[in-house]
Amino acid sequence: MPPLPLHLQNSARPFIEVDHFDFWYGPKQVLHDIHLAFPENHITALIGPSGCGKTTLLRNLNRMNDLVDGIRHRGDIRLDGTSLYDPKVEVISLRKRVGMVFQKYNPFPKSIYENVIFSLRVAGRNDRRQLDEVVEKSLRQAALWDEVKDKLHESAFGLSGGQQQRLCIARAIANRPQVLLMDEPCAALDPIATLKIEELMTQLKDEFTIVIVTHNMEQARRVADLTAFFYLGKLIEYDETLSLFTQPSQIQTEAYISGRFS
Amino acid sequence: MLPMQSAESPDPLRDPAAPPRSPSPVPERFTVSKGVLRLDRFMTYVILVGGIGIIAAVFGIFVFIGSVIWPLFQSPTLTPLRELPLATSGTTLVGLDERSELPYSYDGSADLHFHSASSNLSQPLGLEPGTQITFWRQDRLNDRILLGTQDGRVGFVDISFTAKQSSPTAPRSVTGSLKLAPWLTLNNPAPVESLDYASQGERKLFGAIVNAPEGPKLLVVGQRQKKGLMGAGKLEATPPEDLTPLLAGARPIRVLLPGTADAIVVQTQTNELLYLFRAPSGWEVRQQIKPFADIDTDITVMDFLYGDVSLVLGDSKGNVRILSLNVPPGSDRRLFAETQRLKPLDTPIRHFVASRRNKSFVVAGDTQCALCYATTGTVRSILELPYTVRSLCLDAKAEHLGIVDSNGTLHLNTVHDPHPEAGWRTFFGKIWYEGYSEPKWEWQSTGGTDDFEPKLSLVPLIIGSIKGTLYAMLFAVPIALLAAIYTSQFLSASVKRIVKPAMEIMASLPSVVLGFLAALWLAPLIETKVPSILLLVLSIPLSAMIAGSIWIRVPLHQRNRLPRGAEFWLLAPLMAALGYLAWLSGPALESLLFVANLPDGSQIADFRLWWPQFTGLPYDQRNCLVVGFMMGFAVIPVIFTIAEDALSNVPPALTSAAEALGASRWQVVRTVVLPIASAGIFSALMIGLGRAVGETMIVVMATGNTPVVDAAGRLLFGDPGLGGGLFPLADHWNIFSGMRTLSANIAVELPEAAQGSTHYRTLFLGAFALFLMTFVLNTAAELLRQRLREKFKIV
Repeated sequence: MPPLPLHLQNSARPFIEVDHFDFWYGPKQVLHDIHLAFPENHITALIGPSGCGKTTLLRNLNRMNDLVDGIRHRGDIRLDGTSLYDPKVEVISLRKRVGMVFQKYNPFPKSIYENVIFSLRVAGRNDRRQLDEVVEKSLRQAALWDEVKDKLHESAFGLSGGQQQRLCIARAIANRPQVLLMDEPCAALDPIATLKIEELMTQLKDEFTIVIVTHNMEQARRVADLTAFFYLGKLIEYDETLSLFTQPSQIQTEAYISGRFS
Repeated sequence: MLPMQSAESPDPLRDPAAPPRSPSPVPERFTVSKGVLRLDRFMTYVILVGGIGIIAAVFGIFVFIGSVIWPLFQSPTLTPLRELPLATSGTTLVGLDERSELPYSYDGSADLHFHSASSNLSQPLGLEPGTQITFWRQDRLNDRILLGTQDGRVGFVDISFTAKQSSPTAPRSVTGSLKLAPWLTLNNPAPVESLDYASQGERKLFGAIVNAPEGPKLLVVGQRQKKGLMGAGKLEATPPEDLTPLLAGARPIRVLLPGTADAIVVQTQTNELLYLFRAPSGWEVRQQIKPFADIDTDITVMDFLYGDVSLVLGDSKGNVRILSLNVPPGSDRRLFAETQRLKPLDTPIRHFVASRRNKSFVVAGDTQCALCYATTGTVRSILELPYTVRSLCLDAKAEHLGIVDSNGTLHLNTVHDPHPEAGWRTFFGKIWYEGYSEPKWEWQSTGGTDDFEPKLSLVPLIIGSIKGTLYAMLFAVPIALLAAIYTSQFLSASVKRIVKPAMEIMASLPSVVLGFLAALWLAPLIETKVPSILLLVLSIPLSAMIAGSIWIRVPLHQRNRLPRGAEFWLLAPLMAALGYLAWLSGPALESLLFVANLPDGSQIADFRLWWPQFTGLPYDQRNCLVVGFMMGFAVIPVIFTIAEDALSNVPPALTSAAEALGASRWQVVRTVVLPIASAGIFSALMIGLGRAVGETMIVVMATGNTPVVDAAGRLLFGDPGLGGGLFPLADHWNIFSGMRTLSANIAVELPEAAQGSTHYRTLFLGAFALFLMTFVLNTAAELLRQRLREKFKIV
């Protein structure tokens, strides 16, 4: 059983367990024996230099890597106790449990309304009143409702970058997933928009288990309860954010967070 | 320069006394080499010239096509050439020689007068003394004057011209000579009132009305020419016959004989026409018709047009109507029916002359003269004359129109009407052609005889083009689009790497090879296999559906074992097996459903016979199915390649987003990929459509090139009524008939069209129509595509 950091072992439930997980793109191994658990209703940040495998791990949590040719894995990932690689798992239903927000905001060329309810539409839910409720709730949670409530049926491309990213978050949480994966959600945004999204994340963690990949250590420090540091495909250190940033136990972690390499 | 400027507006930062600062030299590494600049300028000009050149070339083609088409829509011109006083008065007949150099006139006397520019020359006909001519008229085809005498004899005199020219520059001298034919006696020594003559090979016939004391009589007398080994032999008169009893008391006033020499058209005093026909059992009245029954006027002019199939009738109120012989539906005899009504003239019609080249004719009233064309029923030009017309004549080439006024002056006019048969109605309207039982759209540009009426409707060709395109697209679009979607979205990358180049090689197959295969291999192959093909077409989607429904019943953990994109290997064998089964069970389906009744009462399971029997539409071996299949083969790779590119270019960020939201692969395609790629897919369809519309070689080879509907099927089995009346165009859309497209028509006929002829220009008009079709289609498509792109653009 992969462990939670010590201080949480009694207070939180591990929701996602990554159990001695190795992963290859073709002949190249990109994850080496990753062994950790993400606690329920907490924000966990994955940090590390480019190419360290943090995004690969994130994309394995909803099996988005299945879209890539020539992948291979060893070990297991369990979501709430069920293996993602169990042959009985339907990938489509797995992805309904695990929402994802991408690095570059990517709304569909549809109206704001249709963007938000996309996951409901593909699940075949078409009850107008229910959809209206979902749209309002999701947009309110994404702190976007007041800005777009008068133009729900206009194209999503009319929004600013930060608004579009929040729309993508609203879209990801519309179907009430259990986990929200965020792959550098603020990389393409300016500081004000970033701040809004960070506020949003702290509100959302009451309902969702959030895993966020970020390059921005300040961001990790601001929003994450836990932080895991990856280097060259290995998990170097995993601890409560404050202690990881103030008292790193590993020398690579210290070098990284103090900016000696990136 | 600089010091002056600084003197007027002193620069506060610079000391006015200091000399202007010389610019510091630019280091060599910052300078652009002269060669680069020269090449840059050169390439700019090359590209500019090339671009303007392309635009100029396109417009040049336009101008050329336009200049070829333009004369089709020009009005004819009638220009006065010269005037010639004739020395005669009274009822005069005038005729022209080949070049209108030596007009002749005849007024019923013993002499015929030739009128050259310088002199009038009288030449005796060679009548025996005491012969008195009571009726004379010009023959329709030859320089021949028919004569009838006071004592009931009929004959004719032939006029021939000889031209002499000592040197190419010397003036021509034309002389005329006469030859009187032997007289035939009508057995009734009364004056001849009306007369016509027809000669059909060995059979010759005179028809005449004589004014006998007991009343007018209609008489015929024939001649038969013996033919031996040494050529035409002596003429032998057959005994005259009296046809007056057939008239049932009506008074005949005019008689006409068609060139077949087996019928007579008689005009009676009550303005009725009687069509008498010589059946094997003897003469009979075949038709009695009153042409102006609705307005009750007097027939003033009646004559045959060139070809002797159509009658032109003029009345005392200026109306002109054309009656044509055709076999009406439900009959087996040719009867006259009114096919055209011309715009009425202001004056009573008094004179008529028909062209000896085509269906043009000239009618004239007192001071009006109209050049008309019978096929289209149009008055092409009206001449208001300052004199009263007494007689009309046209030369053999219909290039000169002679009008004699009441003073006996011949006014010669040059007629320039190179394309009388052209016009909007000809190209796009229904026209009642000679010999047809109803107005039709018809393309038949050339015929076997001189009096053939060109049928130049572009409608069957346009329909053929649309039809070929439609069936090709019907076949190609689903296959190409579904293949593109499957290849780009579902197929594993390794198979895709083979499929795509293979399709691109398919696009490079020359269409002549495809056409050749379609005509010589495919058409005979599928001719007898229609039920099999029907089942095959059904089996393919059916096998996919069966495979799908089996697949979802497979337990999830079994399904998950199959790598993404490999489902194809499970589907393919099932599809092949089911397709083969469908192909084999075609004959069984045929014997079950497609059983035709033969005329002798027996039954046979044959789709080829069943189809015309069931639908009333013909079944051709080279039909739309073959064309659609082969043209589809040419179009599929075009659509596939472009559509596949458009689908593959949908940003992966969006497909990932959709997948991450729990959409199935098909949902991703339907809700995200297809809308975003729609503009590109639309382009693919339009390029495919353009290819299909313009495709020539395949349709030339694989269709029967029949622009008209083949009625063979109907004649064989009778018309059950599905085609024809209710769906006037159903014949044209029959999938099992051939067609002729605009492009194939140009390819087939342009080499044999005389340059500058109506036919030639009409082919260019067809090219223009083709261009217009694609232009309109492409413009509309482009507008729609822009809207799609705007709607689904990804910022």
